[in-house]
Amino acid sequence: MLSRVADSLYWMARNIERAENNSRVLSVQLIHMLEASDQEVMDRDWGEVLDICASKLDYMDRYERIDRETIIQYLTISPMNVNSLMNSMNYARENARATRDIIPNELWEVLNEFHLAQKDWQELPNTRQHTQDYLKKVKTTSMTAQGIIESTMSRGIPYTFIKVGKWIERADKTARVLNVICEKNRKESSFGTNNYYYWLTALQFLHGYDAYIKEHPPTMESRHVLDFMIKERSFPRSIRYCMDHVMEAVQRLEGGKISHYSKDLFQMLETIQEEIKEADIEHMDMEELMSFLDHFQDRCLTVSRMFSETYYLIEPVHVR
Amino acid sequence: MLNHYNTGVFFDEMMEDNGNPKRHYRSFYQLMENFSEKELREKHETAQLNFLRQGITFTVYNHTGGTERTMPFDFVPIIIPEPQWNKVEEGMKQRIKALNLFLEDIYHDQKILEAGIIPRDLIENNSYYYNKQIGGVNVPLNNHVFLAGVDLIKDENGDYRVLEDNLRNPSGMSYVFQNRYVMRQVYPELFFEHSIETLEHQVSELHKAVISHTPPNVEPHSTPTAVLLTPGIYNSAYYDHVFLAQQMGIELVEGRDLIVKEDVVYMKTIRGLKRVDIIYRRIDDDFLDPEAFRPDSALGVSGLLRAYKKGNVSILNGIGNGVADDKAIYVYVPDMIRFYLDEEPIIPNVETYFLSDPEKLEYVLENIDQLVIKNVGASGGYDMLIGPQSEPEEQNEFRRKIIEAPHQYIAQPTIKLSRAPAYQEGRFYPCHVDLRVFVMTGDNTHVIPGGLSRVALKEGSLVVNSSQGGGGKDTWILSEGGETHA
Repeated sequence: MLSRVADSLYWMARNIERAENNSRVLSVQLIHMLEASDQEVMDRDWGEVLDICASKLDYMDRYERIDRETIIQYLTISPMNVNSLMNSMNYARENARATRDIIPNELWEVLNEFHLAQKDWQELPNTRQHTQDYLKKVKTTSMTAQGIIESTMSRGIPYTFIKVGKWIERADKTARVLNVICEKNRKESSFGTNNYYYWLTALQFLHGYDAYIKEHPPTMESRHVLDFMIKERSFPRSIRYCMDHVMEAVQRLEGGKISHYSKDLFQMLETIQEEIKEADIEHMDMEELMSFLDHFQDRCLTVSRMFSETYYLIEPVHVR
Repeated sequence: MLNHYNTGVFFDEMMEDNGNPKRHYRSFYQLMENFSEKELREKHETAQLNFLRQGITFTVYNHTGGTERTMPFDFVPIIIPEPQWNKVEEGMKQRIKALNLFLEDIYHDQKILEAGIIPRDLIENNSYYYNKQIGGVNVPLNNHVFLAGVDLIKDENGDYRVLEDNLRNPSGMSYVFQNRYVMRQVYPELFFEHSIETLEHQVSELHKAVISHTPPNVEPHSTPTAVLLTPGIYNSAYYDHVFLAQQMGIELVEGRDLIVKEDVVYMKTIRGLKRVDIIYRRIDDDFLDPEAFRPDSALGVSGLLRAYKKGNVSILNGIGNGVADDKAIYVYVPDMIRFYLDEEPIIPNVETYFLSDPEKLEYVLENIDQLVIKNVGASGGYDMLIGPQSEPEEQNEFRRKIIEAPHQYIAQPTIKLSRAPAYQEGRFYPCHVDLRVFVMTGDNTHVIPGGLSRVALKEGSLVVNSSQGGGGKDTWILSEGGETHA
């Protein structure tokens, strides 16, 4: 397969996954917002959402103050934010368009339909209901896309590139959410209901609440939540699960063999798996956890770069 | 439904002057009468949406950037009875054969110039004549025209004439298939009563034609690797490229995916470089190779021409075909047919005047309001004057342009282009149509049954180009006796 095509598939998957994850975070925040009353707390929460879904620094450079409506606009349909939902979905569509001869036709159609409806969304008044509808549309588009990929694509090279993109993106986002929440915890070492609320939010951001609650009684022990989201083997959004699947995908790509050109990549993936396994989450304090998560996010960047180098991937298709 | 339909002074594909359908449209007419107005409207909507959802779009560029648009689809098909089609098919094979011999000749012996059939300076001053780059180069099968799109019209007597030969990168073939596909999806009723030539297997014919152009130096014992080279997703015909690559099962590549090393072309894959033997390119000549043509081309591949001349790669269509399909050379195609094949043209040209001839020039300047004036180098309906539909100021402007550069223009009598009913916005009205016929050549020559019928949907307009409001129709070749079932 052409390297450019492989690269487009990889970024298509990452962008779809990114849009879905960000829309979930925003959607949860819009609900939580209703129960908060303290302005200071609210501003802080929005700052965190910005850090998870985009970059608070970039946002502040442009707008200089936390304003709810501006942030919602910035995260959903703003062309100024490279990670806005609209941009992510556009990149995904452009990538799909550049690989139309490879991907299932239905996958293209689903992304194209989202695009065709986009104009209508932009013209709708900026009400809470419309925003939630839009977020839901992003999520269902992503899920439909994944369903098409799973149910129609041969488990060959194109499929594998799509999956690697998805797992890396997801692992990175999980680490990012946990990192932000750890930081929040560290700053306010007060215990009690607030603390409960933080970890509940983390689970909701990561779509992990339902799965977590089945494993653990409805208590929000930070170490349990963290252990679950980092090390749980069977939960498909935990860091470990994602990285195990990246490894599995690369192994499939290489037919189980390790060649001179893929040696470094395999070694890096093994190291990461080892690091996750060795991490004693239960006994780490917030500082240690944050540095562990920082380190893991760096690893994600490294893996993404090594993956590109191994398969001669080039810059993603740029959108003008 | 066609109660108020008026054929006027034009030849109508479907209706007689007396308001009855023509024989080969009778069955279709009856089926159509069965649709209620609501059904017609809904089906029309569904058909248009189908194109949009599938992203079968072309991109129109203007000052604000590009917009993706679908080509409007019209459900009233152009029906051609088989005997009539057989003649078109023969005519197309004859024409492409002559044009190909012409290309082979002017890049080698130039016999036709020596015989004085075509003026030498017309060729040598042609900006698409790339003798310097590819003169004397032998191409596989001696075939320069792997795929041609010939535009046909019908005159007021209902006789076919060739309007234009497209021998470079004719686009629109995907629409032939998609129009049929949508038609079958949305109007299945229409197919039960008709016996129509199928379009199945046409893509495999195309693939066979591609693969038959093996370059001289292909690695022994290997099947040649063919690719389709596209300028990328922003090209207006990108959908055409995707469709053909996908259907033929060949890789769709961009210039940046290819590299030339030691005069061999490779594509960059996830497993390293892979040799490429045949390139069906949809990039114009002057963008192909910055080393040999435009140095500012970002779409092409450096060194491609060297690989081509060494016989390491085939390029389809051949380089330098533009010299055979511009509007000035067009006039000589009937002479080519006589010269190379010793035959009379089966499908005639439209009468055309050269403005470099002072007598003709005078005639044209005086009668500009009754003529069509075309720039020999332009396409897509641009830089063109339709006399009877123009304002005096426009006519004066063209008079000025012609006097300034008479070689740059040709004139044709306004032909009463045939019309056919179109159904848009809830009513039927007559629209001018033409037909692009696709001719593919490999070991032998094959014409796709039917082709792309284009329709000028703006009432009274003569311009069928999709960039200027033209639409498409399905084209049916009706088997002998196919209409008698009804």
